[in-house]
Amino acid sequence: MALSDHFPALIVALLLFSAFLTPPVYRWTPRFSAPLTTFCLSAAFLMAILLTAEVSRSGPLLYHMGGWPPPYGIELKVDPLRSYALLVILGVSLWIFVYALKDLSHELRIYVIGWYYTLFAILVASMAAIALTNDLFNLFVLMEICTIAACGIISIKEDRECLEASFKYLILSAMGTGCYLLGVAMLYMATGYLNFDLLNGALTEAFSLYPRNIFTAAALFIVAFGTKSALFPLHVWLPDAHASAPSPSSAMLSGLVIKVFAIALFLIFYQVFPREILNAVPLTEIVLWLAAAGVMFGSIYAMLQADLKMMLAYSSIGQIGFIFLGLGLDQELAITGGLYHVMVHAITKAMLFMSAGVIIYTTGVRKIKDLAGIGRALPITMLAFTVGSASMIGLPGTGGLISKWYLALGALEAGRPLFVLVILASSLLNAVYYMPIIISAFMHQGEFEYKVRPVPNMMKIPLIIGALAVIITGLLSRPVIVMLQEAVASML
Amino acid sequence: MDSARVMFLLMFIVFFPILMAPVIFYACRYSVRIRDSLAVVTSGITFLATLTLYPAVSGGEVYHYSLFEVLPNLAISMRIDILSFCLASLASLVWFLCAIYSVDYMAKEHACSRYYTVFIFTLGSCLGIFFAGDLFTLFVFFELMSLIAYLLVVHEETEEAMKAGYKYLVMTIIGGLALFFGIIIVFELGGTVSLAAGHIIGESSVLALLAFICFLIGFGMKAGMFPLHVWLPDAHPVAPSPASALLSGIMLKTGAYGLMRVIFHVFSPELIKGAGWDLILGILAVITIMLGSAVALTQEDIKRRLAYSSISQLGYVLLGLSILNSNAITGATFHIFSHAFMKSVLFLAAGSIIWKTGRRKIADLKGIGRQMPVTLGCFSLAAIAMIGIPPLNGFLSKWTLALGALDAGMPIYVLVLLISSLLNALYYLPIIIPGFFEAPPGEEQEEDDHHHEIKFDIQEATPKMLIPVIILALCTVFFGLTPNNIAYALSQLTSAFLLGGGTL
Amino acid sequence: MEILQGIINNYYYMAAIILFVIGMHTMLTHANMIKKVIAMNIMDASVFLLFVAVGYRYGGQAPIIVEGADGVYANPLPGALILTGIVVAVSVTAYALSLIVKIYRFYGTCDYDEICELRSDE
Repeated sequence: MALSDHFPALIVALLLFSAFLTPPVYRWTPRFSAPLTTFCLSAAFLMAILLTAEVSRSGPLLYHMGGWPPPYGIELKVDPLRSYALLVILGVSLWIFVYALKDLSHELRIYVIGWYYTLFAILVASMAAIALTNDLFNLFVLMEICTIAACGIISIKEDRECLEASFKYLILSAMGTGCYLLGVAMLYMATGYLNFDLLNGALTEAFSLYPRNIFTAAALFIVAFGTKSALFPLHVWLPDAHASAPSPSSAMLSGLVIKVFAIALFLIFYQVFPREILNAVPLTEIVLWLAAAGVMFGSIYAMLQADLKMMLAYSSIGQIGFIFLGLGLDQELAITGGLYHVMVHAITKAMLFMSAGVIIYTTGVRKIKDLAGIGRALPITMLAFTVGSASMIGLPGTGGLISKWYLALGALEAGRPLFVLVILASSLLNAVYYMPIIISAFMHQGEFEYKVRPVPNMMKIPLIIGALAVIITGLLSRPVIVMLQEAVASML
Repeated sequence: MDSARVMFLLMFIVFFPILMAPVIFYACRYSVRIRDSLAVVTSGITFLATLTLYPAVSGGEVYHYSLFEVLPNLAISMRIDILSFCLASLASLVWFLCAIYSVDYMAKEHACSRYYTVFIFTLGSCLGIFFAGDLFTLFVFFELMSLIAYLLVVHEETEEAMKAGYKYLVMTIIGGLALFFGIIIVFELGGTVSLAAGHIIGESSVLALLAFICFLIGFGMKAGMFPLHVWLPDAHPVAPSPASALLSGIMLKTGAYGLMRVIFHVFSPELIKGAGWDLILGILAVITIMLGSAVALTQEDIKRRLAYSSISQLGYVLLGLSILNSNAITGATFHIFSHAFMKSVLFLAAGSIIWKTGRRKIADLKGIGRQMPVTLGCFSLAAIAMIGIPPLNGFLSKWTLALGALDAGMPIYVLVLLISSLLNALYYLPIIIPGFFEAPPGEEQEEDDHHHEIKFDIQEATPKMLIPVIILALCTVFFGLTPNNIAYALSQLTSAFLLGGGTL
Repeated sequence: MEILQGIINNYYYMAAIILFVIGMHTMLTHANMIKKVIAMNIMDASVFLLFVAVGYRYGGQAPIIVEGADGVYANPLPGALILTGIVVAVSVTAYALSLIVKIYRFYGTCDYDEICELRSDE
């Protein structure tokens, strides 16, 4: 077997390898640990690109861990959708990591930075594996790893808010995972399989025998993944956790971690449950209404915040609602839009948190009202923030418009124009809370009141890349959209 | 003209100003004069380039190019036909003249490099709207122009300007969202949004009506249609005068242009008439005309009065669109020309007066004609045209509109036009007559002593400000009741072209 | 009646579900952080119980294949899975407890309500 056959496992293994190698290297000589992690992340990203090319050329790949075929062994699967998720996860985390190198030095104590790299690599590895795994129980283990690593990159700051926030996050996540495992047990009781494909085959028959088990499992899954990805009203942990964490962690958590669970729920709904189960109970309908409520309430709460990062965190609740809206509408175009929004929001929100990070790094300002006039002191940062806000509002030329376009089109196609209005109303609300920040930042009379440190290039360049990426996702979206649409169509 | 050349010209016209904008921004680091002349030259070249397109479209030909697909079946595309040409040449001409005017006017202002950058950028995006080949491209440029124009509105950065700007921005976003919804519905119903597709929506349905209303909100907001005009009287007066002239003279028209495209390309005149939607537009247009004129009467600030007048004048265009017959469309198109000339003169002349004397209140403008006779003369010419006195262009457009209304059997619309003209007279004459025939404040005492001895104390604005005003004022005469009225001929062509379903 | 019969026959499932609900309730409603962690363990344990119960068969032997022995075996897979699950639960518990220690150092209490009061006093 060629090396490239092992890429699915190698991506995860390489990242874990780097995670465990970093602390000793950091102790030996701190200079090498950052390049090491960067190298491993880039290598993983490269492998993901090659895998994507391979998948688009020759169809889905299956990889049996240790050579054990299912139902005994763990199976990894790479199909177009999963490779898309993989690319987003690895690409965005590489980008955030480059930013983090500089930002961390002022937010963390110097001796924990090596550990931060470890946690970061474990988090990325677990997310990549969640996107790849084709096994329910394996998914459970990965979800727990992901949760611990995610809490870790919050609590590593070790101030009171971070500790409390990560404890809250951990407990609610544990509840989510408990529900998930119970759901898995229900499915296992009914079918005796844990592999996605085998379950899919067996569930049709099992559905007539044990309908209650399967309904309960589906409900538990919604609760579990809803908690983990902050679907309204299970979002209570998110604002504290995302706002108090160090900025790169916030970018990671808001940008990727919550989306990964949304993708996992999507995979379970469409790759595990056969169509007749989704048709028999209004599962997607529940998700739809929760998502719509999340879209509205997230935006409304965000308007009320005084703290910049808090506002961004609440805005994430609204945006995750968009992703679930696609799932809830249960329609090809809407799902495509929701999945595209995974990428758009990952880039946009990560960039917004980065610019908030730059603002905190250079001035120490966190309150929105103190930002007046900051645009003249930090023009590039605030321009990036403007581009990000434009994407959040969904202005043309940014990725936000494309995902909203598809979501709205899907809602119309499904015959539910009401949800188009929800999307539009939320865009308007987004405009109402993002625009005053930009206006006061650029148009404020007089000097900025606080002392401003120069912005290091290591922070500026990721911001510029992010702003360009937002525009590219808005203009050159066609190949990705076509790929997603085909992938979704083949699954429905 | 071969198609590759047209394609190149279209791209050049739209993207040359957009690309020049950052150049202008950087030029100001070296020299203010280079920056100013770059702005003038850029707009001038754009104007000339637009004119060269005339042979390509004069015969009713349509050129359509797809640049690249953003999404499946959704491309960024360019298109030119006679209507695009009319508006684009008009816009670039007025822009060019305003650029010349700006050079001296803005010399007193702050943040000029931002002003010129935005000024030229909006030119590009505005032409992008006129040359858009499908609704999506149109939407992109429309939003781009509207959002960037925010910087023109708030240029003064006073508290009043910021408030007006915020209102403008919120309305723009609402309008943009409505457009977005409308375009999505069209895409859903027709599977395409390309203007080349002809009548995309063939039959009336609830969704189609929803789309029509969304377009009405989106474009009507821009055109200052009642009840979405609320931002306009605040936003236009606070901008610097050349920007006000553009906002009122050209950018308002993008809304009317969008509605034309929607009526003739997305829907069809037959469908709109058949479903009775023209009534919605007609009623709103009548309210807009009456309301704009009536409120203009009560305004004390000269620029606010002009802004309200713009609302009522755009109402004429909407009225023409709602009547939907040959004469009415000719009238509506021609009124776009007329109003662009008239309102630019009015705003630029008012700007000169404010620039020179600092007086904005109408009550303070008594006797201004003795100080600035040419400026006020041009102002008067445009105001008289606005009232609709022959042989000026305002008369011709009202005449044609009235003919259209009578053709359609709606004499009530003629009455509306007459009442509005009367109101126009009521609010313009009190500026002109005291301006020429009363003594300036403070000199009344002197006046009594010298009996009828009129004292001229000429202090005109600089030539760079005066010449654009004079040229535009001459346009109101030249495009009036004269033989070889190119603008009128173009309007007739446009009307025939649109009603003929895209051919002459 | 049928349902009742079903419940009696599957009493171990019921036990697992009751434990699960107890755990979840305690976890969400109790202010004391240590109790939250204990509840989390109860919840996990209940699921493990359910899983193992699913794999067991009446009269089954441990799934070790010996020469000559025949008959039914318990399903080994749930057992193997649950071992992993326990490891995961232990690590989450350890992490949660370490967080509590840190929080205790700041506030001198591990009661969530008291912490909220302390914070609002500031």
